[in-house]
Amino acid sequence: MLNSFGSIMTFAIDLETRLRDYYEAAGNADRARECEKRRSNLERVRRENVTEIKLEPIAGLEAADYALPLADASAGGQQAAARVAAQFYQAVAPKINVREAQRALERCARQHQEAAG
Amino acid sequence: MVKKLKNYIGGSWVEASTSHYTPVINPATCETIGECPDSPAADVDKAVQAAKEAFEEWRRTPVLSRAQYMYRFKALLEDRFEDMVKIVVAENGKTRDEARGEVRRGIESVDFATAIPVIMRGYKTEDISSGIDETAERQPLGVYAAITPFNFPMMVPMWFLPTAIVCGNTYIVKPSPQTPLSMEIVYELLDELDLPEGVVNLVFGGKESSMAVMEHPDIVGVSFVGSTPVAKLVYETCAKHGKRVQAQGGAKNYIAVMPDANMEASVANIMGSVYGCAGQRCLAGSVIVAVGEAYEPLKAELVKRAGALRVGYGMNEESQMGTVISAAARERITGMIQQGVNEGAALVLDGRDVKVAGFENGTFVGPTILDKVQPDMTVAREEVFGPVMAIMQVPDFDAAVDVINRSHYGNAASLFTASGKHAREFKYRVRAGNIGINVGVAAATASFPFGGQKDSFFGDLHGQGLDALEFFTDKKILIERWL
Repeated sequence: MLNSFGSIMTFAIDLETRLRDYYEAAGNADRARECEKRRSNLERVRRENVTEIKLEPIAGLEAADYALPLADASAGGQQAAARVAAQFYQAVAPKINVREAQRALERCARQHQEAAG
Repeated sequence: MVKKLKNYIGGSWVEASTSHYTPVINPATCETIGECPDSPAADVDKAVQAAKEAFEEWRRTPVLSRAQYMYRFKALLEDRFEDMVKIVVAENGKTRDEARGEVRRGIESVDFATAIPVIMRGYKTEDISSGIDETAERQPLGVYAAITPFNFPMMVPMWFLPTAIVCGNTYIVKPSPQTPLSMEIVYELLDELDLPEGVVNLVFGGKESSMAVMEHPDIVGVSFVGSTPVAKLVYETCAKHGKRVQAQGGAKNYIAVMPDANMEASVANIMGSVYGCAGQRCLAGSVIVAVGEAYEPLKAELVKRAGALRVGYGMNEESQMGTVISAAARERITGMIQQGVNEGAALVLDGRDVKVAGFENGTFVGPTILDKVQPDMTVAREEVFGPVMAIMQVPDFDAAVDVINRSHYGNAASLFTASGKHAREFKYRVRAGNIGINVGVAAATASFPFGGQKDSFFGDLHGQGLDALEFFTDKKILIERWL
């Protein structure tokens, strides 16, 4: 269940970690590096943008809807994984009410969308 | 083997001079996660002596150098951020996000302290009389101390300590014995800074050590955050002993909602205000004052949204509300809910029997709503400090302001509205120290003073912001003539 700022950010960090490992195993070092950069940035965003004044419950998002298809390491498989990641970021960004964090999630969505082709 | 906490005095971790320790309980798991010494007055005296000895050299350390320690402190806090979050959750019971918010606010106070070299400057006027100049310069005063509460174990001490020491004072923190572990990790990081011995000190304990802080002749100022009766005691005792004092007490925060408010956005924010930190914060919204036609749609949405909140162990990211601090707190809160019912309120959402799978012994109280609350009911007048919302209906804006101003507390009040006129009137007329307009948690950031009026604050200079600068320095006047 993705029902809070922290649960969404932690899911995103975990998603980038798994994608990084997946790309590394697939021999795609550039993509792996990009994932690591996003992971590190999302950790910073989680640290810096939780705001007591605007900490509100979030509804309508389920982690199960964004299960990464990581069995297939082919180019097509990598595109499919990036597509799921992009969908995740596109769905969660509007739910976050802190603009700085929203902007970071939107950037992740764009980058994964580009990777998805 | 459960860890026995040590005091930090004169740059070293030292055992308290006592055999009496209080267990530190994780309120969700009920595990003992530490043992907090009940330090006697003699240990407070040792800390004061160390701080006093450090003061003269520390105040001569250039303010720019003193501020440099804060940059390094911030870097360490950022590095250990999630470790501190876990400790706050474990000892306090709040959710991870709430703990993250707390730690962030603590770091913001460190950020503020790095600005002290700029804002600590004095001022000068030439020729106040022919050939005579007058200067006001700020000086630190000596040893300060804080007595801090369980509900924000990391953040509240940070409101005071960084500013105090960068201003050139030395410091002692006496945290709540219910939540001492957050300060232990903070002091581990302070220890890494290689500050001169005695600049910062930590004494764990309960009533005896608190009284020793208030009465010690060599402590020049005390900051306190806690309940109103204790805040009053701290204020009176410190004043009697010639100290500066800022004592923040309890609260009963009202949130008025006008019919023109954006209902969906308002309710989302009100949820965070009332149920955030399980209602255990002095800025928590507690009484919802529905104005006129706002009542029915507001009540329906509040009950729906509160009922959907996920109560659970704070360590789980999916938990939206954690525990209250202890079994005793739960008993007190559930007792006040029953009292509300006995006095005629309608219990429309009952969180008294909430159970969390896997944490059956945890001190959880679910979101609770009492409707048809009247101003003279206990639940409308007294602080519950738990996840309990009281709903009251009033006919118009003026009646809402009247009912809010009747409270003997004056910590915070909020108005949800689309009307600028009502917003201004609310800010102008409501007697509370922190006002929110379409904001349910009117929390001052580190560069603003944390307000409070009536029985919610005793003193004149508030914590944080420029008030903190005033509190931790004195202005010395120099009048000079060169013959």
